[in-house]
Amino acid sequence: MAGNTILEAKGIYKSFSGVPVLQNVNFEVKAGEVHALMGENGAGKSTLIKIITGVYTKDDGQIYWEGKPVEINSYQDCQKLGVACIYQELSVIPPLTVAQNVYLGREPRKGPFIDFAKMNQMTQELIDRYQFPLKPTTVVDNLGIGQRQLIEILKGLSQDSKLLIMDEPTASLSGKEAEMLFRIIQKLRSEGVSIIYISHRLEEVYMLSDRLTILRDGKNAAVLEKKDIIPAKVIETMIGKVVDESAGSRKMLHSDDKAEVRLDVKNLTDKTDRYRNISFQVHRGEILGLGGLIGAGRTEVVRAIYGVDQAVSGEVYLDGKKLNPSPKASILEGIGFVPEDRRNQGFIPLLSTTKNVALTNYDIVKVNGTTISDADELAMSKRAIEAIDIRPSDPNKQVGVMSGGNQQKVVIGKWLMRDLKLLIVDEPTAGIDVGAKDEIYSILEDLAKQGVAIIVVTSDLQELLRVSHRILVMRKGDIVKEFKNVEVTQSMVLSAGQGVEEEAK
Amino acid sequence: MKRMNQTTMRRLISIGMLLILILLFTILAGAGKGKFLNFDNLIEVVRDASIPTIIGVGVTYIIITAGIDLSTGSMMALVGMTMANIYAYTLLPFSVMIIAGLIVGLLCGLFNGIIVAKFNVPEFIATLATMSIFRALTYIIAIKDQNGVIKSQPMNHSQYAWLGGGIGKFYFVIMAMIVVVIIGQIVLKHTRYGTNLYAVGASKKAATLSGINVAKTRMIAYVITGLMVAIGAVFTTARLQSATTAIGMDFEFNPIAAAVVGGVALSGGSGDVIGTLIGALFMATLENGVRKLSINTAFQYVIKGAIIIGVVIFDATYKARMDRKAKEQGAKEGLE
Repeated sequence: MAGNTILEAKGIYKSFSGVPVLQNVNFEVKAGEVHALMGENGAGKSTLIKIITGVYTKDDGQIYWEGKPVEINSYQDCQKLGVACIYQELSVIPPLTVAQNVYLGREPRKGPFIDFAKMNQMTQELIDRYQFPLKPTTVVDNLGIGQRQLIEILKGLSQDSKLLIMDEPTASLSGKEAEMLFRIIQKLRSEGVSIIYISHRLEEVYMLSDRLTILRDGKNAAVLEKKDIIPAKVIETMIGKVVDESAGSRKMLHSDDKAEVRLDVKNLTDKTDRYRNISFQVHRGEILGLGGLIGAGRTEVVRAIYGVDQAVSGEVYLDGKKLNPSPKASILEGIGFVPEDRRNQGFIPLLSTTKNVALTNYDIVKVNGTTISDADELAMSKRAIEAIDIRPSDPNKQVGVMSGGNQQKVVIGKWLMRDLKLLIVDEPTAGIDVGAKDEIYSILEDLAKQGVAIIVVTSDLQELLRVSHRILVMRKGDIVKEFKNVEVTQSMVLSAGQGVEEEAK
Repeated sequence: MKRMNQTTMRRLISIGMLLILILLFTILAGAGKGKFLNFDNLIEVVRDASIPTIIGVGVTYIIITAGIDLSTGSMMALVGMTMANIYAYTLLPFSVMIIAGLIVGLLCGLFNGIIVAKFNVPEFIATLATMSIFRALTYIIAIKDQNGVIKSQPMNHSQYAWLGGGIGKFYFVIMAMIVVVIIGQIVLKHTRYGTNLYAVGASKKAATLSGINVAKTRMIAYVITGLMVAIGAVFTTARLQSATTAIGMDFEFNPIAAAVVGGVALSGGSGDVIGTLIGALFMATLENGVRKLSINTAFQYVIKGAIIIGVVIFDATYKARMDRKAKEQGAKEGLE
């Protein structure tokens, strides 16, 4: 099946502001193979792909296409070679038909007019050849996400692409849609098209790929042939056996069941089925870690608890009192929420620390007649700065210009001004340097000691083990595993999230 | 079950709105008196809808790219006043006067296009500014009497008078509208340029990745609008047989309203010229009916405004619902 090498990247180096992201990475794809690319978050997968597609420029190394060295400086360059990238964020045009999308910007013409008959026929030929469940004349408006993705694939094929790059293609697909995509991938392979398949989902990789390249910390960890793609081995390679044995990668979990229950979640179910029948409790002073793959439904669950999004059924109780699902009610009841997308949802970049801290606390800031007391507002932000050591300590500094770590402290700090019962933090240290990470962990630990219940959602396994007293793992919208009062390793958590816990240990 | 295309659905809704309005006025005005529903009055409605439709073709293109043009009313005045100057101060033939008007329209459109597409000034602000500039230029070049007071310039040219009329009740402006709508629709639906307009409006990023020159596509839409405005100005001055500085005052609202009612979403990427025609007919029917019923004309503006808000709210919620349905349906069917 697989033939000669079609794409080869040799000795690729890339760093961002001095931090190495890729170091001497080699990557090779053969004609007609499905080559999976795996690695933990931050292992360098997307950076490598962006170098191949001309979005980033490499610092060093060489890319070869069909044996010849090539320079790829833009996405157009890579298209010309015959590489098409199926973006996660789909770029189909909804008011146009399937055929119009496939040939957008390259429509066959008769005089000044688009030759619709020919265009539809050309599209039909492609559809027939690869057996796609599409019709050329359907308006994209009426199609589901899976079908829209197929249009992107068709678009690539119509340009005679020999290599398709698919980045987490099943992330937003239903089970049936995903099955259809797998059939099509197999069909494409049999037609000699190569595919780079990036996925966190091991079962898909296991089923589809001919070979697998694993990156770890920006370096090559392994290239596995089909026969060597064994879940336990893959996970071990992704995390690194040495790392897994070392301190910080295994932990004895301790949680106190006898402590009173603060948060009680009962049968929470999502309208669009991103999570279902979620029930769990968090005790006083407990840090509950919520692990699992991106897209497992963790963020959706905590957003529903806080009341930003509403679940279709189920209840949430805080200290025995049923909660109304609304952020305002949650704040008044003593719930704090530190969202995943810090910059867009966590704080207002143009406002000062003072204003950001005050924003969720205007009910407790003193008023002079009808206007807010500036003095009290300032006093509050000084307390926040003191409490968690925000630097710079100038309360008038715009939060947007601070470092990620200090921004996050502002986001957390505003909740400390209240009588907090539950704090939900989603990816609390994403993009934050090591020193600030430790500070944030100790803030969380201090809060727990004061009796606050804490939920930490994180994709960083090391972090999950470091902070959690107890761990729940979600997979495809369900809680699939609880780790409680046992010794747990990164592999165990990852395996549970992947759905391969049995084989892994 | 076959799902109906969103575009088809929206078209049926705007036709339905127009028919309901006609029915409403027919009943309210009284069938016997023939106040509303008679040939002469309906032709009047179509004539009133003509200029908003002609300009609306250009504005439709712009809105499809997710842009807006607030300067069309002022632009119309500037074109009219340019022609009045040629009429008043030169002996140039009628055709030269019209060509000069069309060129001024093109240049105004190009000016908008350059500011918007080359310098990336947000459309709303850019055309709000040129709305002011074009109107001011109209005052500057306006024809004044001995005391320096701006006067209305009569343009009593026999050919011009002819152009303002028609063959019987079949006015030339209506014929021009029909031609412009047909060409406008064909360009939109059957050329690469038309397809590019939709692509730019739906996703500038996707359009760029498909090799479409986004800036050029947007700029041409403004230039086309300038030309359409000039055609509108020619017919307006021909009908009035004069040019004043007040031409096109508050007029920019009309083509935008026509497009929006006709299903051209302000968020870009949808709608077409036929929709705008239906929208313009709807607005003209509304104006006419309100007049016939002797309702205080001030109310007309309240009703117009309310309808626009209603349509935009409807489109936004309807679109969100349809998109969600399509996704759910797609996911459920598994694309067999």
